[in-house]
Amino acid sequence: MQSTRSSFLVAAAIALAFLTVSGPAAAQGAPSNLPRNETLILENPEGTVENAGWFNIWAINAGSQSNGLQQVALDTLWYIDPEHGIDGVWDNSLAAEKPIYNDDFTEMTAKLRRGIYWSDGVEFTAADVIYTVETQIKNGAMRWSAPLALNVAKMEMPDPYTVVFKLKKPNSRFHALFTVRWDAVWIMPKHVFEKVEDPLKFDFNKPVSLGAYVLNSYDPDGKWYIWKLRDDWQRTSLGRFGKPGPRYLAYVDAGPPDKRVIAQMKHELDIIHDVAPEGMFALARQSKTSHGWFKGFPFAHPDPTLVAVIFNTQNELFKNRDVRWALALLIDIKAVAMASYRGAATISAIGVPPTGAHQETYHGPMQDWLKAFEIDTGKRKIKPYDPTIGQQIAEMLRPSMGEQIPTDPKEIAKTFGMGWWKPDPQAAQELLERAGFTKRGNSWDTPDGKSFSVRVVVEGEARPVMARAGSMIVQQWRQFGIDAKIDTAQGTLPTRRSAGDFDTMISWSVETWGGHQDLSFFLDSWHSQFVAPPGSPQPPRNWQRWSNPDLDRIIEQIRSVAFDDPKGIGLGKEYIKLVAREMPTIPLMSYNVFTAMDETYWTGYPSADNPYANPVPNWGNSRYMLVKLKPKG
Amino acid sequence: MTLARILRHLLRYSTEFRLGVILLGVVAILAALSFASPYPPLDVYVVAPDVPPSRAHVFGTTSRGQDVFWQLTVAVRNTLLFGIAVAFLSRILSLVIGLISGYKGGWIDRVLMSLNDTFIIIPLFPLLMLFYFVMRDSMTWAMLALIMSFLGWAYDARLIRSVVMSLKRREFTQTGIFSGMTTREILMREHMPHVMPIVFSTTMNNINWSIGLEVTLSVLGFTDNNTPTIGGMIFWANQHSAMVAGVWWWIAFPVAVVVMTFVGLFCLALSMNEYIDPRSRWSRMSGGSA
Amino acid sequence: MRGYLQYFAKRFGQFLLVVFIGINLAYVITRATPIDPIEQSIALATSFGNSSPEAIDAMRRSLRELYGLTGTPIEQYLIFWRRVATADFGPSLSAFPTPVGALIARALPWTIGLLAVSTLITFALGNLLGGLAGYYQRSRSLKALGIIAIGLHPIPYYIVALVLLIIFGFVWPVLPISGGAAMNLPQGFNAAFLGSVARHSILPALSLILVGLGGWFLGMRSLVSNIVAEDYVVYAELAGVERRRILWSYVMRNALLPQFTGLAMALGGIFNGAIITERVFGYPGVGALLVDAVYAGDYGLVLGVTTMSIVSVSVGVLVIDISYPLLDPRVELK
Repeated sequence: MQSTRSSFLVAAAIALAFLTVSGPAAAQGAPSNLPRNETLILENPEGTVENAGWFNIWAINAGSQSNGLQQVALDTLWYIDPEHGIDGVWDNSLAAEKPIYNDDFTEMTAKLRRGIYWSDGVEFTAADVIYTVETQIKNGAMRWSAPLALNVAKMEMPDPYTVVFKLKKPNSRFHALFTVRWDAVWIMPKHVFEKVEDPLKFDFNKPVSLGAYVLNSYDPDGKWYIWKLRDDWQRTSLGRFGKPGPRYLAYVDAGPPDKRVIAQMKHELDIIHDVAPEGMFALARQSKTSHGWFKGFPFAHPDPTLVAVIFNTQNELFKNRDVRWALALLIDIKAVAMASYRGAATISAIGVPPTGAHQETYHGPMQDWLKAFEIDTGKRKIKPYDPTIGQQIAEMLRPSMGEQIPTDPKEIAKTFGMGWWKPDPQAAQELLERAGFTKRGNSWDTPDGKSFSVRVVVEGEARPVMARAGSMIVQQWRQFGIDAKIDTAQGTLPTRRSAGDFDTMISWSVETWGGHQDLSFFLDSWHSQFVAPPGSPQPPRNWQRWSNPDLDRIIEQIRSVAFDDPKGIGLGKEYIKLVAREMPTIPLMSYNVFTAMDETYWTGYPSADNPYANPVPNWGNSRYMLVKLKPKG
Repeated sequence: MTLARILRHLLRYSTEFRLGVILLGVVAILAALSFASPYPPLDVYVVAPDVPPSRAHVFGTTSRGQDVFWQLTVAVRNTLLFGIAVAFLSRILSLVIGLISGYKGGWIDRVLMSLNDTFIIIPLFPLLMLFYFVMRDSMTWAMLALIMSFLGWAYDARLIRSVVMSLKRREFTQTGIFSGMTTREILMREHMPHVMPIVFSTTMNNINWSIGLEVTLSVLGFTDNNTPTIGGMIFWANQHSAMVAGVWWWIAFPVAVVVMTFVGLFCLALSMNEYIDPRSRWSRMSGGSA
Repeated sequence: MRGYLQYFAKRFGQFLLVVFIGINLAYVITRATPIDPIEQSIALATSFGNSSPEAIDAMRRSLRELYGLTGTPIEQYLIFWRRVATADFGPSLSAFPTPVGALIARALPWTIGLLAVSTLITFALGNLLGGLAGYYQRSRSLKALGIIAIGLHPIPYYIVALVLLIIFGFVWPVLPISGGAAMNLPQGFNAAFLGSVARHSILPALSLILVGLGGWFLGMRSLVSNIVAEDYVVYAELAGVERRRILWSYVMRNALLPQFTGLAMALGGIFNGAIITERVFGYPGVGALLVDAVYAGDYGLVLGVTTMSIVSVSVGVLVIDISYPLLDPRVELK
């Protein structure tokens, strides 16, 4: 006794549904009307860009940086590769040669390349560089205004292809501002911006490119950006290496990690920026064409960034080096590596990330010193370094991962790291007792008689691997009797970090060039002149707010030494010894990024076997990959 | 009829009620089992990770090295406690407001109902997110329960009020007034037994509502994910890409349990509502039920 | 007519009250934040760069001027209300200097479209099936449908969305699971774009519909089963009026009207569901905007979206409330 009218309605609804679904189900995630085999689809880790039509990268906070804008549309004087580089680590991009300093580092000359043109046909000259610096100095709210204003006294343009910077004080690393390590001071087009009334309010839409690609189209809702190769690509600095393979680049918001994996499995996403380790393992298992930086385990690309437990050394509890060392000796790095990266971590005991060229420059040569390194617990002397921990991790993984785990000790050292501190609760107890802490039953009290409690701040969903590492460390401290807890700072970590609103946190205060041995990129900012008083915001990167006269001496010496001078390495080693003794942060491992590349449409990606570039797609340096990519088949 | 007798009646005659009791019974047993858990609930990597359901681990293990079954018992307990706490607190508010408004009438009623409608109309989720935004990392479970109970009383207060309004007109109320009972005595002795059934069903719905919000907020990472809750389990599963990694049991079992809870509570509320509405009760008792 | 005007005035007064209380609540909550938006911006801007501390100080000074965070609390409150009246919430802090209003205006059509379509379908389908179930009380298939709808109704939106995502994104990937439309399709009123929008909204709409059906179904069913016992219906049946005519012209029409008030009360809840659904499916509406704004600590945007949602839901309720008496002559306008 059904009403035929209602059944008709229901049937009509279903039919309508199927009609709409019946469209080509395959090409849902790929751009329509672009040839797929000429398009490279990459993930933009910024997600959905709220301010989609904004391309003025020089105004702070405004739009996206890594939607392709800094990677393929803009350019600057030099690039340092985090890996080995196509033709060496250093690349003269818009500059024709390396920076030329005078004897006391108060003047730097940059000679520019000729024959480089903006995408609207205007030639790139020194006038653009000078305009960039002057405009940013004039407008305090521009991204690089402050460092430029602090360093540059005057500029001169002896000819259209030479810029001379006169500096306010000696700075042997002034060129670092124009050297891309993820980003740098990008050059502005003078002929576009000088016509604009207020460069801070100008959206630069459509952007005029200095790089090899121009904007083709973009989503006003901020989910995708499509760039097209310039017809005159030879007139860009990237063109020196040949014609870039992909004609179109699509930088997309690939959604949460699950969706990224699904997209790559459907071959709708060629390069994933990062996923959880489990996602990577799933990809490796289920997709024949996906691979990471390493062909097998641990897959991830080690960024030149050192993840560590950062102490707030202005906090009473952590002023004493013994307390910091005690907490370090309670950590079982093997368990932390398993918990955070499922073992796919590259550990480091010293204050330099185990990536790029650093293992050859620092980690290897310092093994002997580390093995002999002693600390005095108050009751005895111990040698805390265990050089075999990297191997132990490999052995732990071998039963379940089998052949994917390398056997060659050199390979193991490269992928898993060398050694770390042995967990030694007895020594930790002795150190704490010397520092005035007392054990009461199963828990510990501070010298003031209060319960010893520690909070570890982690970043939640934005950096799940860090949160996992933090959970494991907290558990280990808790098992020792310390009241330790995780504090999830979803989205507020940068603010709390700079405010010093934490006991300890899992983050990084050490970032290096990667390919080059110089440590000043982060080390300079650790000078005590920059340490903020408690309660005031701390400028990057000395999040641990640690000052030490020996450190200051090392930093000042580095400032007076040229960038490529091998004396810098010796000074770097002194820094390493100092922070090993003082332990202002507990170095854990490098920040391994699970960048996954799909070979269905493109081949030639950089990898551990062929480390000619950094494939992580939001780095400005990733553009070098484009000239080596070739369409499959 | 007292609440206890009503419940007994429902148990005998209503399949929905029986179904609800069974489902909730299972969930309650799970929650009670949490006290027997062999693993400390906050610890990770205590068992081998990613083991599928097997004899040793009935529901499998998570990527964090925890046993899903035992973790789930603790999660269910915490989630239920949270829901009950919110329901209890907001009952107080909705009872007070509903009773006063319904009985007193006049301008008190108008003012309270205006306020009430405001809270019904305002979309609560953005406000909750706003609270989270402001309190960030100091938002404890107790705080969240308090805030939610201050936001969740409106719908039920209106229902209670309409019941009270109809009761006011009934004879026994007039009798009570004439025999000199105070307002409070009338409210407690005469009206309450009629109000309790509706309080019961609204409580069930309210628990559903608060657990639903807890799950949603936890999944988005807006709560303290240290204490295991059902939403928290799903949050961690997402963090570890459990779906694509093939660790389906980590998501499936918490979802199944939470669905059981919801459907169970809903059935209880539904059956109580049908009981209150005498016409459907009549048709059911005369043998028309499925 | 006078009765209606009085009614309209009362409803409008209620609308104003809701908006006033809601927005004040939102303002108070956001102003109580311990987050300093300037520090947040600076932290975001310098997290990858290499700036010296004097540099940061200079940036901080300039930003404070730009964002206009000056004046006493009272002054800021009054300025706030002036801005709300002109729908100007200032610049978004995470997408400076784009005004918050522009971001919301871009996202709002997506949410309204999704909500309007799914609410309409849910209301129509739910009431239709519920009405049929209430009238044809012996029908097995309608009873079964009822059980399914009731089973789905209490489940939170997130879980339904998640399950749909797993089924259609993973197990049987035939529907798009993220975005509002396909890539590289220019937006416009053409068949290709609209078709793509429709396809991308199937899953989000389905999540909202599946959860919402049960509520209308149950309500309509019990309303109809009560009406069926009313005298005029019994009389019509005895008089031999065609069953179909009784169902549609007598029963359904009368039962439907009270459901409209239910619609007004449910709007807030449906909006909540849309927020989480948009997040799961990456749909570019205001829900996703709100969540991202909270993550980014952009309090101007959070305040703007919250305010706008309060206002729009209230407007929706007002529209329903004032049109209801026009549809149902039985309503007493007091």
